[in-house]
Amino acid sequence: MSTIAPEKYKENASKGIADPVLQKALGGLQDRLGPATEKLYNSQPEGHDMRPRAHQFRRKAIDNLDVLLSTLADKVRGHGGIVHFAKTAEEAVEICKKIALENDVKTVVKGKSMVTEEVGLNLALEKEGIEVYETDLGEYILQLSGEGPTHIVAPAIHKTRREIAELFTEKLGTPYTEDPPTLTRYARKALREKFLKADMGISGCNLACAETGHIVTVSNEGNIRMSTTLPKIHVAFMGMERIVANLEEQQSILRLMSMGAAAQEIGGYVSYVGGPAQADHSDGPQEFHLIIIDNGRSKILADPEFREMLCCIRCGACLNVCPVYGKIGGQAYGSPYCGPVGAVVTPLLFGINTSADLCAGETLCGACKQACPLEINLPRMLLALRSKLSDGDPDWQVQPKSKGENLLFSGWQRLNNNRKIYDTLLDLMRMLQHLLPAKQGMITRLPWPFSGWTANRNMKKLAPKTFMQQWKETKEKKDS
Amino acid sequence: MTTQKDFIGDISTALGRPTPAAVDLFTVAPTTAEQDILKNIRQRSPGERQPFIKTLQEVSVPLHLDFHPERSLEDIRQAIITLILEKDPEWGTKKSVVRWDHPLLNSLNLEAAAELKDISLYTTSPVAATLSAEERQQQRQQTRKEVEESFIGITSADYCIAATATLAMKTRPGQARSVSLVPSIHLAVVEESKLLATLEELYTLLKWDEAEQAEGLTNNLSLVSGPSKTGDIELVMVHGAHGPRELHLFLVADRS
Repeated sequence: MSTIAPEKYKENASKGIADPVLQKALGGLQDRLGPATEKLYNSQPEGHDMRPRAHQFRRKAIDNLDVLLSTLADKVRGHGGIVHFAKTAEEAVEICKKIALENDVKTVVKGKSMVTEEVGLNLALEKEGIEVYETDLGEYILQLSGEGPTHIVAPAIHKTRREIAELFTEKLGTPYTEDPPTLTRYARKALREKFLKADMGISGCNLACAETGHIVTVSNEGNIRMSTTLPKIHVAFMGMERIVANLEEQQSILRLMSMGAAAQEIGGYVSYVGGPAQADHSDGPQEFHLIIIDNGRSKILADPEFREMLCCIRCGACLNVCPVYGKIGGQAYGSPYCGPVGAVVTPLLFGINTSADLCAGETLCGACKQACPLEINLPRMLLALRSKLSDGDPDWQVQPKSKGENLLFSGWQRLNNNRKIYDTLLDLMRMLQHLLPAKQGMITRLPWPFSGWTANRNMKKLAPKTFMQQWKETKEKKDS
Repeated sequence: MTTQKDFIGDISTALGRPTPAAVDLFTVAPTTAEQDILKNIRQRSPGERQPFIKTLQEVSVPLHLDFHPERSLEDIRQAIITLILEKDPEWGTKKSVVRWDHPLLNSLNLEAAAELKDISLYTTSPVAATLSAEERQQQRQQTRKEVEESFIGITSADYCIAATATLAMKTRPGQARSVSLVPSIHLAVVEESKLLATLEELYTLLKWDEAEQAEGLTNNLSLVSGPSKTGDIELVMVHGAHGPRELHLFLVADRS
């Protein structure tokens, strides 16, 4: 279960950095998935055009979202499904709760769905006395331990096999073992009982196809197929942006998503679900409900600066390369969406001021954009968010940062624009820096108000000569 | 309650309509490249499909998929009988097998095999429209019981894609979706003529082939590439998370 608490970023990041087990897990993940994904991108027959083209497909879909969603809704109804629209998280939860109560649902099995984490579905259903089981192995482990996911695709990446072994022994009563295949088998057995008795299955939607009227789910475990085949009711939750116009575009993005998520050509199980089972079919759900959710997305859509973010398909590729995520881990972001994608999406969905540390924490190194299967320009949007934080923005209810800081930076700006003052100050600093505490040629502590800069890092001393001076001297020597 | 009109209305406002929608949202005619792919598939001779079999063999290994060498119906029948006899059930000790009601699988005639006389062989039959709602429900419950009981499920597939070892299965009466999902071992028997080179070929057919267009994707199209797997515990790859632990593939040679 996720709680939205991005305010604790610094505290949780420090914990993550200090945790050697987490460091090893994240290092292993990034070493394996990052390069493997890159290799796959480069080996595609479509060549380097594939990703920019897919970006255009996504952008076209977002720019025509009203037409596409209407088409999808009509088609799904034509297939015998029921379509609901939810403006808010609360409304989405209410709709699902109503379906469950009307059908006397006792047990729910869920496929991994980030949007149900976002709206807080599980808690609401449990309050009604309904048993809810996460069935993705990683999510199931986290449900047992009462934690939120820390990676979009590998949600329990922060858990060691020893922790999982202890958890299973305590919660499932299984014999203690640290063997991943045996642990997986324990979970398989425990969840199989739930699959067979569940009367409602809940899934997310990776990327719907408007033209054919299908939602599409992807998994490697087969848990989503189980959740959407065995129970009598299937409820699918879909963030309103998860749609593309036609089948050609859908397949090209779906394949890129598999590459970004798990360095696969295609996920192990891909299902196109258009509606419930027909009358003459011998299995499949009798009811299919699709809940399309806004929950702050139309506000992102209306802002040209951030509309590009709606192209994101939550594959998690950016997590597998981000140097910041790779050190602090997913917990720090305090949101179901972590890593670079979380640093942009969490502020936009849950408030820019409360998530200020998330966008400030990223390095703008650009690795996320390079790894993104859709080449989404996350660094650009991180900068845009920082600019809003600095100047304030009534449209996004952003309070500007303190007047003092603004003053300081405009002074800094003026200083930098005047060569003479700048050089004088440099000379002054060169003299004064010898008075500061230093270790191995690095300044270890700056005086207030700059002390924050050296709280977690040392600072290099100023060089005896600036680049410009060296350039000038070298040139003069050469010319003479 | 938010109505569709209000919901879509908010989106249109956010998009700054009345700017017109893009014209090329839904494609209505295949591109020349797609026409070429269709032509290629249709004119392909059995000989031209042989390299795909080799590809399939290669990609099966990392996917943990058991691709069997038998090609004739009689050899495949025997191989399946052997598998049924040699494999152990995962849950309990009783051996039951469930299969689709499908012409290719019917022609295997497993029911006549003397070696399997002690094993329950179930077939998922279509639910007749003439039955009452209650009778239909009963038949579905019976099928469900048989699928749960079975340790092996046998299906065919609409297509098999060589490059990714993907089985494409549409939902149809008599071809229960759970047969390829709930039993611990999934056996797929596919005609060689259903072999395609790439996912691109599959999607081009699904989109532009007249027969495929007429049928649509159906309410459930599943693409299955290998047995169930997970890496959720310390990224260690384990097969058999929730779906089948094993996937065995048989290709029936073209008899023409």
